Amino acid sequence: MTDKPLLKITDLEVTYWGRSLLGLGGKPFHAVKGANLSIRAGETLGLVGESGSGKSSIANTVLGLVPASSGSIRFDDTELTSVKTRYPPAVRSQIQAVFQDPFSSLNPSMTVEDIVTEPLRVHTGMNRAERRARAVELLKLVSLSEEHLGRHPHQFSGGQRQRIAIASALALEPKLIVLDEPVSALDVSTQNQIINLLYERRAEFGIAYLMIAHDLALVHHISDRIAVMYLGHIVEEGPSDRVYKAPAHPYTKALLDAVPLLDPAAQRQRRAARKSAAVLEAPRVSATGCPYRNRCPLVMARCQTEMPPAYTVDGGGMASCFLHATDAGTASEGARFKEHAAP
Amino acid sequence: MSIEPDTLSPAMPRRARWRLSGAQIITGIAASVLLMLAFLAVFADWIAPYDPLRQSLMEALQWPSTAHWLGTDDLGRDVLSRLIYGCRIAAIAAAEATSIAVLLGVPIGLFIGYRGGLWDWIVMRIVEAVVSIPGIMVAIVIIAILGAGLHRAMIALGILFSTSFLRLARGVVLAEREEVYVRSARVVGASDNRILLRHILPNIAPPLIVQVTLTVGAVLLAEAGLSFIGLGVQPPQASWGTMLNTAAAFMDFNWFLSVPPGIAIILTVLSVNLLGDVLRDSIGRGIAVGVRPETPAVRFEAAASPSSEAGLTSSPRPADEILWVESLQVMVSARDGGEIPVITDLSLSIAKGETLGLVGESGSGKTLTGLSILGLLGAGARTTHGSILLNGRDLRTLPRKQIEQVRGNEVAMVFQDPTTSLNPAFTVGSQIVEVLRSKQGLTQKQAWNHAVELIDRVGIPRPEERARAYPHELSGGMAQRIAIARALSCNPSLLIADEPTTALDVTVQQEILDLFRDLQDEFGMAILFVTHDLAVAADICDRIGVMYAGELVEMADVDPLFADPRHPYTRGLLSAMPHASDRNPPLPTIRGNVPRPGTWPLGCRFSNRCDFKSAACDARIPLVGTGRQVRCVRAGEFDMEAVS
Repeated sequence: MTDKPLLKITDLEVTYWGRSLLGLGGKPFHAVKGANLSIRAGETLGLVGESGSGKSSIANTVLGLVPASSGSIRFDDTELTSVKTRYPPAVRSQIQAVFQDPFSSLNPSMTVEDIVTEPLRVHTGMNRAERRARAVELLKLVSLSEEHLGRHPHQFSGGQRQRIAIASALALEPKLIVLDEPVSALDVSTQNQIINLLYERRAEFGIAYLMIAHDLALVHHISDRIAVMYLGHIVEEGPSDRVYKAPAHPYTKALLDAVPLLDPAAQRQRRAARKSAAVLEAPRVSATGCPYRNRCPLVMARCQTEMPPAYTVDGGGMASCFLHATDAGTASEGARFKEHAAP
Repeated sequence: MSIEPDTLSPAMPRRARWRLSGAQIITGIAASVLLMLAFLAVFADWIAPYDPLRQSLMEALQWPSTAHWLGTDDLGRDVLSRLIYGCRIAAIAAAEATSIAVLLGVPIGLFIGYRGGLWDWIVMRIVEAVVSIPGIMVAIVIIAILGAGLHRAMIALGILFSTSFLRLARGVVLAEREEVYVRSARVVGASDNRILLRHILPNIAPPLIVQVTLTVGAVLLAEAGLSFIGLGVQPPQASWGTMLNTAAAFMDFNWFLSVPPGIAIILTVLSVNLLGDVLRDSIGRGIAVGVRPETPAVRFEAAASPSSEAGLTSSPRPADEILWVESLQVMVSARDGGEIPVITDLSLSIAKGETLGLVGESGSGKTLTGLSILGLLGAGARTTHGSILLNGRDLRTLPRKQIEQVRGNEVAMVFQDPTTSLNPAFTVGSQIVEVLRSKQGLTQKQAWNHAVELIDRVGIPRPEERARAYPHELSGGMAQRIAIARALSCNPSLLIADEPTTALDVTVQQEILDLFRDLQDEFGMAILFVTHDLAVAADICDRIGVMYAGELVEMADVDPLFADPRHPYTRGLLSAMPHASDRNPPLPTIRGNVPRPGTWPLGCRFSNRCDFKSAACDARIPLVGTGRQVRCVRAGEFDMEAVS
């Protein structure tokens, strides 16, 4: 690992424009608001959030599927946001992806060989025999074998399909693979097989992963660092273990606490202790103030009007929360959070 | 989900088998008519008894005779020969116009569908203008420009019919380009042309084949029509249309002249369309529907299953039980016409106010268990054995009418995805009102007031206002609350919840689980909670049944199950949960995959993935124990360390 980031996202904004009846105008929807992230070579960044948090928008923008409204994405030495239509092949082959739904991410009319060798056809001058040999190699990397080459996707289980998608993503030996919820459609016993597979291939090839997921616990197993998104903002970022074990932002903590414990007795205790902080109204997003203030149990007066900047957190990383402000007058609030965070 | 109440009453006659063979007969007839047509077209020169153009005014307008089987026309030409040569014209016409339509329509449709924007707008407005005018008029205008004659008429028809291919191709592209595999292709770096031709085009084939058959039929009719009014095939050439034209002129002298070309046109068009229908039905329908009604409900491996003896499985029946399922077996029809068991030997009971969880991975049969209780198994699946007692009545023996009354009133269901289980065309309030009016006979006003109360009860603020909202106006969690309100509207004694929180965010899931618990405290219904997530089951359930490959492998109260799982599969599942361990990969896994129905190992179905397999596992293993049940011969033998 070097200190120079492989991928550096600075002040990224992604805005979608809704369409009105006449096809003109419509309301803007700000999916990503001023995101800053960086991934070094061979590093895994877990990007966590609930639906609508903007995590998939970041993934799609990095992949060049969705244009950035403003900000910068640098990959190696190329500025990706200035690319008008499609990435130059040298960049394109270095950023690959595995998507969530293994039932629609593979073309039903193509064979496994076609799917796995498609990147080779597009980017290399390999002939048919060379491509086939490479396909066999790739299938071995994901614990499938030559006999699977001629089959169609519908003949495979969800986990096997995801292996095929990974084989295809590995074909060009990319430096970065964007994993968009790669295991959330799979059974529990298969999820870990795929996580292990991704982990092994990373160690082998030194690939960096940008792993999008909604489950912090799952991401924590494979990530070096974790970023947490809420309503388009990155609210917390830091080393994987620190974020998982000592969440600094109230939202990260809520996210972790919402997953039921596997111990029914402990879960009953937690449930009883949990205040019913159910907020049914859609969280309002206003220009000013903390995005989480409507649901936050520790909300303060200044959260209503000021957007909290990124504060450094003990143990590494940052959190956009005034509880971590170092200026006077908030020390007691910080203590309150520590109390709250303690189990 | 198609409602197939028949599955519950095997005595009722089924017509699935008949439909299948009927379709086969029709396909056979249609195909042979078309084959004969093709044969006649190719070998017309040898088959036709006379030259179709040879005139003999002495023999004009004759009725059928041994010399001229179908008589002669106004110029004494043999009708049979002209009919046979007409096949050739029909075949040429159909091929020509259809290929022009495909070659013109599909590429343009692909292009505008993929590109969208201005091109799409311009082309679609032109297409709309064309289809808004009667087709034959458009053809006449084009022929007026090109001039009359078979080939020109077919070019005109080709242009006309290309609009339907254009719209078809555009529609498929619009749907396919949102598919994830197209995104994958773009990430790989495939060019737009490559994505269109290599990735999207192959998926257009099934609807295209159907459209081609329909177009062939339409072209034949249009050719006959154009020739009839003198714009298509020019006399003296023989085509079915020109023959009809002649027949019309001499109707008073020999009405029979119109019969042979008329029948030929009708038969051909009918055959092509029927074939198209059959093709359309066969594409995309993987499993042939049709369970033999007369098959007796044979119990799967009844003799080999030791649990059927001596009542080993029957735990003591609690006094306040709501649901009692005994030895349930569900079969689905296989491709080869046989049946495959998907649930075997399943017994469970739920008491009033109790929540029983059914957990397992996909393919374990947990969802089918819920559906079979409701009698909502889809086509091709049926309950073949066992009893389902709800409040003491066996649902399997109830007639269909009564089952419908039971559904909603006594047992209700909440599905996984609230955005699809609610009808998008109606307000959420009216969907609850509908249930109340049909099941409880309330008036509109009473029902509406009750619906608003229910919406309030499931914790939705401003219930009056929200009752008038459509499902898409609500968030996922809110929509699931509405679905729960609808399920509880008739105060059922049993609620079946099938993965009700799986589609929701984790913070919303927590709220919905709390809601289930609150409502159960208030209404006291029994809940059958189906989930793949053991942590959710730990939170909500009193007792849990773990399913694997169509059978229960372990059933226990929630605390002992998590503290001391006895079945190796339960242990494997628990240790694979993301929160279960705090270590870096390799994470614990269960090797292999869940076997599909029909490929289960003969003995213990988990044996091929189990680390504790012994010789005894090759025989069927019964579910043993009272209160706490486990289906493993070695369950008591080794002390499996608790998974924390």
